[in-house]
Amino acid sequence: MATEDKRKTIQDKIREKAKDLLSNNTVDVIIGFGEGSLPLRTTPRFIRNPEKVDRLIWNSFCENNLSTYLHKLGQFKVGLVVKGCDARSVVALSLEKRFKPDQLYLIGVPCQRMVDRRKVSRTVKGEILQAREEGDLIYIKGDGFEVSLNRDDFLYSSCQVCIHRNPTHADVLVGDPVEESPLKETYQEVKAFEKMSPEERWRFFEKETSRCIRCYACREVCPMCYCTECFVDSSNPKWMAKDLSPADLEFYHIVRAYHQTGRCSGCGACERACPMEIRLTYLTQKLNMDVKELFDFETGIDTENLPPLSTYEIEDKQEFIK
Amino acid sequence: MVIKKAYVETTDRMLRTLELSFLKEEDAKDFRFIPGQFCELSVLGKGEAPFGIASSPTENGSLKFTINKAGVVTTALHHLEEGAEIGIRGPLGNGYPIDLFKGKNVLVIGGGFAFTTLRSLIAFFLHPENRDKLKDLTVIYGARMPGLLLYKEELKDWEKRSDIKLLVTVDWGDKDWEGKVGLVPNVLEEVAPSSENTYAVICGPPIMIKFTFPKLMVLRFPDERIYTSLERRMKCGIGKCGRCNIGHLYVCKDGPVFNYAQLKKLPKDY
Amino acid sequence: MKLKLNKKDFKPFLQSLIEEYDLFAPVQLVEGVSVFKKIDHPDEVDLSTPNPQKPAKELFFPQSETMFRYEKAGEKNKMTSTEEVKRERILFGARPCDIEAISIIEKVFVGEECTDVYFFEKRKKTTIIGLGCNHPLSTCFCSSAGGDPFLRAGSDLFFIDLGEAYFVELLTEKGMVFHKNKFFKEADSKDLTFVKELEEKAFEKVGYSIPVDGIEKRLNLMGESLFWDRVHEICMGCRICTYLCPTCHCFDIVDEDEHQTGQRVRNWDSCLSSLYSLETSGHNPRPTTRERTHQRLMHKFNYYPKHFGQVACVGCGRCILYCPVHFDIRQAILWTSSKRPRGLEGGMI
Repeated sequence: MATEDKRKTIQDKIREKAKDLLSNNTVDVIIGFGEGSLPLRTTPRFIRNPEKVDRLIWNSFCENNLSTYLHKLGQFKVGLVVKGCDARSVVALSLEKRFKPDQLYLIGVPCQRMVDRRKVSRTVKGEILQAREEGDLIYIKGDGFEVSLNRDDFLYSSCQVCIHRNPTHADVLVGDPVEESPLKETYQEVKAFEKMSPEERWRFFEKETSRCIRCYACREVCPMCYCTECFVDSSNPKWMAKDLSPADLEFYHIVRAYHQTGRCSGCGACERACPMEIRLTYLTQKLNMDVKELFDFETGIDTENLPPLSTYEIEDKQEFIK
Repeated sequence: MVIKKAYVETTDRMLRTLELSFLKEEDAKDFRFIPGQFCELSVLGKGEAPFGIASSPTENGSLKFTINKAGVVTTALHHLEEGAEIGIRGPLGNGYPIDLFKGKNVLVIGGGFAFTTLRSLIAFFLHPENRDKLKDLTVIYGARMPGLLLYKEELKDWEKRSDIKLLVTVDWGDKDWEGKVGLVPNVLEEVAPSSENTYAVICGPPIMIKFTFPKLMVLRFPDERIYTSLERRMKCGIGKCGRCNIGHLYVCKDGPVFNYAQLKKLPKDY
Repeated sequence: MKLKLNKKDFKPFLQSLIEEYDLFAPVQLVEGVSVFKKIDHPDEVDLSTPNPQKPAKELFFPQSETMFRYEKAGEKNKMTSTEEVKRERILFGARPCDIEAISIIEKVFVGEECTDVYFFEKRKKTTIIGLGCNHPLSTCFCSSAGGDPFLRAGSDLFFIDLGEAYFVELLTEKGMVFHKNKFFKEADSKDLTFVKELEEKAFEKVGYSIPVDGIEKRLNLMGESLFWDRVHEICMGCRICTYLCPTCHCFDIVDEDEHQTGQRVRNWDSCLSSLYSLETSGHNPRPTTRERTHQRLMHKFNYYPKHFGQVACVGCGRCILYCPVHFDIRQAILWTSSKRPRGLEGGMI
């Protein structure tokens, strides 16, 4: 089936399923993606009326991880549209008992990989005023230019290395499963980073975090960051200052990455949210890679066992303790 | 300012009163306030927090604040000894509408440790220079237990006076308590003061206010004659940092004293 | 005074400013990301990003600012205030929206009863060189918010890019200091005509389609509207919109202590943060994004206008561009008027 047809079919099936779930009162609200007011963007949509499901769309710009809304559920039953990575976040959250199992209905979408809108914008000088997806191409138009791009050249780096594009444990799959072969070697980015000397690595990290404005968008969009009092905000004990001193910015990013160990699905929402375009996924990828090597664990696959850093076994490897 | 005296008010040791005196004479002379206003007290290195002034403008020389131990700054204030220095910014806020009370009766209803600025108001009007500005002064003050009452010695003195009708009540008594036992809203219902020509000033925990307001309605107190002092998290205290607003009014600058008619028109951000 | 500066003289002109003033201009941090920074060399200036992420308010109201330093010496404490600005400053390259926003903040910070000396000192000692917007973005709605892409108000000098040169207008006393500047030549009638053309084209692009006018009154009538239950849903409670907003000015004050010395610092804060109104008792008057979004929109479009007669939004569009969930404030504004887009069901209305 051509890419365009696949996308349309998925979109129709999402709408059909949403209508069905709402009409039967299986759920109170559907959280999916809707049309954005700007080209290349979508926005999360909360649909309660079965007649309004045509507001749900599906395209290569559905980049948000909607599982982060599960913390706002309260008592409501939700039908959630999830890609592969989002579904794994949901599994991680269910292990941490963030919602009741019967509150959630997962509409799983086998993901065709998401397009990096910033990368697309950088190919042209001037503002993109219109964009549309057709097949494997993206057509962008602005003042004085009209370009067609190959969507596969503009995928998010986290999507290129993804090997879990089919949502695990979804209640329904609204598309044919896709092939689980990454376009780039898994953990490629972090392996390239590891080849740098410690000084080079520090300089890179320092340069990236120096742009940080402590907006905490990375924290808020991350489904796994839900502490009512984040370590950053704690005043008693006070772990760090609230200003922009480089040491505090570096501390924040390292520790936040560490708090995701074994819990991060690699969705890349943190990096996509950052207004200062700080690279972040290399940190979480590194931790995911270590967890895989040391504990043979990947987030969101196993629905029974807690992540390695949440448990302790006598047989746990200890070579890294010197 | 420097701590002149410090003593614990309540048996649970969570409330401590500090009597502060100015380091410089000129500051003491320049500092003029009315009951209901507050100051921001600073402990260098810990921070700053707002506290209602518990002493009356008629009590010259020193300022009294009663501090509830709750967070970083208040814990630091609890640990300071006499002679320690504290920073102060103030007086801030609008204070109680003393001028409106002239020639009228005043009904003061206080609960728990919200009684601090009410003490300032009562002590102000009990002063010989000011007492004749009011007609009747009725005070109902309640705490959960006798040990949690503030200013116990003063309450005893005031009870003996004839120019103030003071009713102290507790939710639960103990073996030594000989006074009234009853929730403040119920005591108010019993006393049933007349609302004619009377202003009501009420300060207390949200739960007390929630149950007392309906009793005031029953007694026919109009909204414009019910005053309360609100609390919000504050930082600058002068209406710049944007934090303490309720609607378009700032609790630090346009308040903390508001009447119920004003509050009805504002969003419930408190 | 209508002058012009040839582009070949632009860098020497900046260099001459650097020698006498602290010059702040847009600087690129990485491709697509720029901020206003103090520059030491004209090559650092980068005008490729239409509007730097961090707004010009940073120059007068820094994200993190020491208010005073202290030294604890036994019983006696020594405090040193830090508002003094030693050298005169120039802000180059701010757009009219950012400049108008500074005067919006000024109305709050500089008052009859108290003045924020930190802000005021910096404002007094800064000359603002504004830069007109030949190509407003589709997210710009400055004209709807009472401004326009070539608004001169607030600038001391105003530059307009003519291609080979900048058109220069000296607008205030501070601006007139430059009237004998050796790099400025007289502008001719061709330049003036071109300026008019650029202005017309830009005005047309921005238009007046967002009904900001009258929004204060409309919001007065919307106390219990279902709008508030829906508009907040997609918001995740980060701080991007408030930090990148040129008019937002809420701040937090903390003491940073290092045993015997320390400082009292003021940092930007955001009403969208869950900790903003959280009281030590644990009570939070604004516990969910519903109350916080209500506060933000009402403050900008109702509470601020009640005091100062204008909305606290300049239509720069940063919040639309950078929100991770693409919350579009224009849609929220449209919803309050009769031009509602497609009813209420759904996420971002």
